[in-house]
Amino acid sequence: MLGSIGCAALVLAGVLALPPLSVAQDVIRIAEHRSVRLDALRTLVPEIEQKLGIEIRVVEYPSPALDYFTKLVTELRSGNAPDVFTIPRDQQIDDLAAAGYLADLSDELAGWEGYEHLAPLAQQLARATFNQRSYVVPSILAVEQLYYRKDVLERHGIPIEQPADWQDLLRRGRMIRERTGQYALLFPAGLTWGTGAYTEGFRHLLAGSSDARLLTEDGRYRLNSSGIRDALEFYETLIEEDLMPIQPLLNPEPWIIPKYEMFPAGELLVTTCGTWCVIFDWGPNSRNPIPNLEQRVATWDMPGKHGGRHVMAALVYGWAVNQKSRRPERAKQVALELGSVESAIAYAEGLGNVPARLDATEHEGFAALTHIHNAHAQLLRATAVQTTVGSSILMAGVARATESLLTGREDAAGAQQLLLRYVSNILGDEAVAVAGK
Amino acid sequence: MLQLARSYERRKQLYLRVLMAPALLLMAALIVFPAFYAISLSLTNEALLGFAARDSSFVGLRNFTRLFTDPLFWNSLKVTFVFVIGSAVIGQFVFGLLSALCLRRPIRFKAIFNSMIVLPNAVPEMVVGFIWISMYATGEYGTLNRIVGWFGVEPQQWLFSFPLMAIVIVNTWRGIAFAMILLTSGLESIPKDVYEAAKVDGATDRQIFFRITLPMLMPTIFLYMFVSTVTTFAIFGLVYTLSRGGPANSTEIIGIYIYNQSFTAFQLGYGAAVAVVSLVISMLIGFFYVRALKVEI
Repeated sequence: MLGSIGCAALVLAGVLALPPLSVAQDVIRIAEHRSVRLDALRTLVPEIEQKLGIEIRVVEYPSPALDYFTKLVTELRSGNAPDVFTIPRDQQIDDLAAAGYLADLSDELAGWEGYEHLAPLAQQLARATFNQRSYVVPSILAVEQLYYRKDVLERHGIPIEQPADWQDLLRRGRMIRERTGQYALLFPAGLTWGTGAYTEGFRHLLAGSSDARLLTEDGRYRLNSSGIRDALEFYETLIEEDLMPIQPLLNPEPWIIPKYEMFPAGELLVTTCGTWCVIFDWGPNSRNPIPNLEQRVATWDMPGKHGGRHVMAALVYGWAVNQKSRRPERAKQVALELGSVESAIAYAEGLGNVPARLDATEHEGFAALTHIHNAHAQLLRATAVQTTVGSSILMAGVARATESLLTGREDAAGAQQLLLRYVSNILGDEAVAVAGK
Repeated sequence: MLQLARSYERRKQLYLRVLMAPALLLMAALIVFPAFYAISLSLTNEALLGFAARDSSFVGLRNFTRLFTDPLFWNSLKVTFVFVIGSAVIGQFVFGLLSALCLRRPIRFKAIFNSMIVLPNAVPEMVVGFIWISMYATGEYGTLNRIVGWFGVEPQQWLFSFPLMAIVIVNTWRGIAFAMILLTSGLESIPKDVYEAAKVDGATDRQIFFRITLPMLMPTIFLYMFVSTVTTFAIFGLVYTLSRGGPANSTEIIGIYIYNQSFTAFQLGYGAAVAVVSLVISMLIGFFYVRALKVEI
């Protein structure tokens, strides 16, 4: 009997030691998720395969962004992640690069014909802040603004011109509440919105606050700053004056009710959102389309606290290469191909994001994407709030801080201290600057 | 002769150990090793992202210090205890005992009732979660909202208004079968002549239940409590599917908290520290029940 067990163990050990049969030597595996993204990728794959003389295997990942990222990170950690994958948000590049999961693409990008055509912001966001090396091939950007229901505001005699500052925006919100009885403003917040509490909500406010710098010159987080307090106080006002729907934000999938139901129904009239909203959230093929969208929904820039205005942009789904890829050179070639204008347009068509390359306007496919022309034209003036290593903790901290406001457990000052404690507890005091310096 | 007997005994012992070896190896690989690994991980700043993912370092008891000052940890502990007591100790036990007592009697369609009670236990956790998401769905088309609508009640947001109660109900529904099966076997083991003697002595049904059935069922009840408390303490998929711990952490049981720390905040060291504390609590519960059962370990 022992002999049989020994033989079985040897056979098992031998099988485990063999390289996986499913991955041939010239196959590049690409991780992708969500049906619209998968559809776009599948239209691009045959041409890339032909051009590079390789075989590409598309590996389908879970749809929700959080589940995709969690699965990707665990696979990167265990060393069996696909060769090429996307990073959902630029804020995640630093953390992934610092962990040693990403191949350095700086040299490849420097020699790539598309690099000089990229919007400068895309070039900047593709670099890790701690070493200034580039780790992703930018393909598309999300341009984010305030989207409002123009038709409802006009019907109730509420001004639709660009708000001058935060007070003007709040005045507009109070008018909406009084005249329509509906919720006025939505800035994503809370734990269940995950990273979106920071990316789709908090940073819009921070960028226009009295002190928009999130990092010190030596790369520490400034969490005691007046800018952080301003942003949290804005949330506090929205909550105290019942201008923002609170209950839906505490749900497991908090975006569904306000973004997919209340905004199309005219029960929420202003929300932060990106170019994806006009396709994915309210477009003709979405679950809750808004008829005559172009006439009924318009955008404002995000006003600053004391005036000024800005458009936020984020480098979304940049193409990265696994540091442990068995075919790194081939994988890098594939990533560069996926940074082409054709690829960006294929993705923009389904998702609503805008190509990161400024020369996309010369491509014949771009003309048909009328809904993104305006957003694409704004790339040169778009801005972003720079984060560094530890951004995942910062974003989790912002989610906690805003959740404490939603539930009424803390005021803005308490929420700021909560954020500060959370980040310094995890990243260490050395990662956080004291007294807002 | 004695020599022969000793040799036989030794061979028998060896044979038994060989037979046990695969199970012990599996337990060592899948339970003991991960537990010790989690303890070692809990003393580091190991993470899935950032510099700590590449070069983690020993941080001593820092994770535990942080844990005991984290209100969300205490909240998750409180939620877990309410969940365990509400669903396993009270819900499943009461309904399981009632079902076991009812189904001992000769009733019509007994097999159908049996199946109805046992079926939920055969459904995987995640599927149960999705079934109840449909039940609790908001708006007028949610199954439960349609039911209460027949009585003129406005549609409710069940998972928002009564989140903890909602998950307690689901877990109770799912676990009745296990309680029923175990308690039925306990009831069957009570000698019938004890009941007959009690009846001859003129005992009422109430007296029979409280003086005979319940005391003689106590070892089975404790065994059930032990198993269900520890397994309910470790539940994850059901609650993750239903509420992901929300709203506002009101259903964040310890399993969800560990997951959120380890795979949402990507702090493996801290997540491991919470898991170690959870393991200690489970072991304390186990010791309590084992002592109560008066079983030697």
